[in-house]
Amino acid sequence: MNRGVSWRHFDFWLLGAIVLAIAFGVAMIRSAIAGNEEIATTVTRQTQFAVVGLIVIIIVAGIDYRYWTALYIPMYIVMMILLIMIYISAQPQFGAARWFQVAGLFIQPTELAKVVEVLMLARYFELTKDRPRDLKWILGSLAWVWGLAIWILLQPNLSNVIVMMVIWAAMIWINGLQYKHVLVGGLIGIIVVLLAFFFVMEQYQRDRILTFLFPDPNATYGATYNVQQALIAIGSGGLLGQGYGHGTQVQLRFLKVRHTDFIFSAISEEFGMIGSGLVIVILLIVVWRCLRTSFLAKDITGAMIGYGIAVLIFFQGAVNISVNMNIIPVSGLPLPFISYGGSGLVSLMLGIGLVESVVLRHRQMEF
Amino acid sequence: MSSGSVTQPVIDTRRMWPVYVAIAVVLLILVSRLVRYQVIEYQSWLDQAVENYTSTIRPPAPRGIIFDRNGYVLARNVASYNVVITPANLPDDTADIQKIYRELSKLIEVPVNQGTVEEAKLFAACVEGPGIAQLVELGDSNSPYTPVKVKCFVDSNIARIVSERAMDWPGVSVEVEPIRDYPTGSLTSNVVGFLGPIPADKEAAYLDNGFVSGRDKVGYSGVELSLDPILSGVNGTRVIQEDVAGKELRNLQPPIAPTPGSNVILTIDSRLQAAAEATLINEIKEWNAYYGEERISSGVVIAMNPQTGEILAMVTYPTYENNRFSRFIPGYYYEQLSQDLRLPLLNNAISSEFPPGSTFKLSTAVGSLNEGVVTVDQIIQAPGRLVLTEKFAANEAGIERPFVDWTYNQNGVINEESFGTIDFRHCIAYSSNVCFYKLGGGYKEEILQGLAIQRLGEYARAIGYDKISGIALPGEQDGLIPDPQWKRINKGETWSTGDTYIASVGQGYVLATPLQVLMSGATIANDGKLMQPTIVREVQDSEGNVIEKWYDPANDGNITDTKETETSYRISPFVPNLKWDVTVEPIIRDFVCEGLYCTETEPQFYKTIDPYVIQMVQEGMRLAVTDNQGDIRRGTLNRVFGDPLKFPIAVAGKTGTAEYCDDVALKAQRCQFGAWPTHSWTLAYAPYEDPEIIILAFAYNGGEGASVAAPIVARVMQAYFELKAIDLAASGGE
Repeated sequence: MNRGVSWRHFDFWLLGAIVLAIAFGVAMIRSAIAGNEEIATTVTRQTQFAVVGLIVIIIVAGIDYRYWTALYIPMYIVMMILLIMIYISAQPQFGAARWFQVAGLFIQPTELAKVVEVLMLARYFELTKDRPRDLKWILGSLAWVWGLAIWILLQPNLSNVIVMMVIWAAMIWINGLQYKHVLVGGLIGIIVVLLAFFFVMEQYQRDRILTFLFPDPNATYGATYNVQQALIAIGSGGLLGQGYGHGTQVQLRFLKVRHTDFIFSAISEEFGMIGSGLVIVILLIVVWRCLRTSFLAKDITGAMIGYGIAVLIFFQGAVNISVNMNIIPVSGLPLPFISYGGSGLVSLMLGIGLVESVVLRHRQMEF
Repeated sequence: MSSGSVTQPVIDTRRMWPVYVAIAVVLLILVSRLVRYQVIEYQSWLDQAVENYTSTIRPPAPRGIIFDRNGYVLARNVASYNVVITPANLPDDTADIQKIYRELSKLIEVPVNQGTVEEAKLFAACVEGPGIAQLVELGDSNSPYTPVKVKCFVDSNIARIVSERAMDWPGVSVEVEPIRDYPTGSLTSNVVGFLGPIPADKEAAYLDNGFVSGRDKVGYSGVELSLDPILSGVNGTRVIQEDVAGKELRNLQPPIAPTPGSNVILTIDSRLQAAAEATLINEIKEWNAYYGEERISSGVVIAMNPQTGEILAMVTYPTYENNRFSRFIPGYYYEQLSQDLRLPLLNNAISSEFPPGSTFKLSTAVGSLNEGVVTVDQIIQAPGRLVLTEKFAANEAGIERPFVDWTYNQNGVINEESFGTIDFRHCIAYSSNVCFYKLGGGYKEEILQGLAIQRLGEYARAIGYDKISGIALPGEQDGLIPDPQWKRINKGETWSTGDTYIASVGQGYVLATPLQVLMSGATIANDGKLMQPTIVREVQDSEGNVIEKWYDPANDGNITDTKETETSYRISPFVPNLKWDVTVEPIIRDFVCEGLYCTETEPQFYKTIDPYVIQMVQEGMRLAVTDNQGDIRRGTLNRVFGDPLKFPIAVAGKTGTAEYCDDVALKAQRCQFGAWPTHSWTLAYAPYEDPEIIILAFAYNGGEGASVAAPIVARVMQAYFELKAIDLAASGGE
């Protein structure tokens, strides 16, 4: 099946960027342990996941991405079953059930679901490329998305549903969504958001948003504590940072969840603006290489894979950094390739493998 | 791009532009925020990071020790043991923790589990209630490196067992907390006082001085309060780095060690204090047993050296046990004390005002002789009953009113003649009310012009009344010497002749603290020199060096190392402080009097008291002891001190029987002519020629001064001279 594929087209820029990001992440996780024995094994684990991820990239890149889209029915069903299982039987932890525990590892199917969504939509838009961009076409794509998203919403995990909806919106836009539908969709979106806030959201979700919008100036140790500590970490990093292993916010553990959700703050404190700027630049390189792939792709499926993965990485990264800098409320989304978390890392690397698969088979005339 | 043929991308490139714009906008927001936090606001965030890990701890300064004049300890610090658990140091395994809890629970008798963590939040430290597990869980969630007090004030035996098991019980340890101990307890509690937590209203000021709220204690009364700045010392300072759990990592600045509080040596002789207390209590109990009721409710004894002002004993009864306040102030006990009408929490020797009665006649005597109202040899008629005219204005006809002497009605036997004709000195010796009415208010042709109230006030103030003495004890009252203006403002009435008559014998509106009465006697005894009464003999730093201290009673008891204000006096090292010498310093304003009314001479003129006047009053007080011409014409102190076999040392003194009216007497309908209850006073000094001790006794509702207070003074004086003999023998034998 690799006949006609030239590995010299393999995007080493893309691979290099993510390897750099992962290495940076592992180094920062090591610093972020800061004597906490409960997370002492995270460095080894993240390294193991990264190795697994690299193998996944090579394997997936070698397989023509159209095989995956051809297998969309079993893939979609398996994904749905995994999400239903986690909804029904997963153990409650930190207020929400988002993991499978298999052989001591926490597996989070939600992370995989976002990559599967990209594949599903890529296939859908390929299939419907000649259909009129009518309401039926829109609802058809939404139906595929919500088949998975509904289970995630029930977990409840609003952040990832938002990620999935953004991916969907970005992809349907690029495929020629009519302007009138954008307008109507925007209005419906606002109404849905308002209804969701008052009737669907759990109290803790409402509280998160409310404390973000109207922070209590006296609540240093209340709900705003983590974000406040993150800001102190970022700000005290300055231009050059306090040095690796010398950030007091990280090393004295004032910064919470510093190896996952707030790793951007940890980097910013210890490496300053050089570190935080580097993170943003690396993410931009990854996004750029994925978007480049979508321009090179020989079919809609390939283009949509590159574009969808780019949207996923950019949006998730932007949300995470914005949370760190108190621009938006706390969401719980990891920083792509850098935050600790095996499922997220391997799922994203699977996505990168798909992109590489597209690059390897891009439209060009072999001579 | 590859070198292959270029075809159009499969996606609509025009639709990519909004995506690029979105990415650019997001990037712009992120980068601008980053610049704001890391460049513009860098310093303020760095400051917050430093504040996060910087903690200032204050190693406590040991409080100074209080000694009596012989080096006997009156207040010290002793160790108290608390069993504490540091949550972070407990073992990881829950089963191990439970095992420790169970074993510890058996030893210290605190249940392993009791109530919930939520309920435990409601309990203050050291209050029993929550179980060990709940206390530790609460402490763990707050600050895992801060020891949690599981059981406070355990005995040293349990503390030793817990210390020995440190290896088996990681995380469990014994915390040593110094608490105040008062070996003499209630004997000296009115003088020494007690400690309490930093009061909320002064918390800010204390925190500025490095005190730690909730840990450090401050003086609440006695010298613990008035000398608090000397005793408390200065807490040390350590600026440390700590992590989020409160674990100390390192010193950020060189630590400053605490400065221990200075030790204070009082003028009190606790042996004399004990003798005075025993005498006072026995006398009160005897009389109460005799009357078959709780008649005498409270009393005061003060002993002072009149030449130096050193207070040798200051006893009040009832008082309180200050050791019961040493760990915390028990609510029920404090409530019981503060609701007691006898005011056991107050030092009644300086904080309560009573009518001084006949002891106040010393003021009238000094004044009338110095002003020429009477001459020493003038014969005064002193019948048992005198009809005087009560007038509110000079030209008023007035109302005739009888004034009787204390001898007039002796258990139903009317004595019209009473003392008969006596001279000035015998007026004092016999304490003739009739004589002093005449001296104070004037009487017909006999005393044409009395002393009158303004001049009486001048002389009373000159010998110690109407002002706080300035002794280094908190809560001193200033008493009251009334004058017409005071009466107009406070009572809304005009001053009458009757007011002057009764003020002349220390009744009516006149009020004084026992210490003021003592000072008036001491001024006479010391030939007109009023010494500053003092309770402090010496202040020593923690290495035993005597350090200089000045006390300023006029400036809220401010204590300084050097003389900073005119009103301050040196309390350490001790030196006799002369307040003034009435025979030298002109402090008495001159008045021209006519009947009731006196006006200040123009221009203002100040004068002294003739030493001869003081000497005549001294002779009168001596006659009170020596004169014995029969049952009536007999010195008031002759029965107690007159026997030279019992009292070889020459004593002089003055008694007082002061009518009063309080709520109890009012209810018993005793506040009326002939039925008034009386306080019993006596002051006496010795040796007469060169006095070294003056003693005052006061018994609330004690009755006659000569029969209740005088025996107390006599016994305390005996004790004083016996102790002096013992000390002399001890020093001579060496």
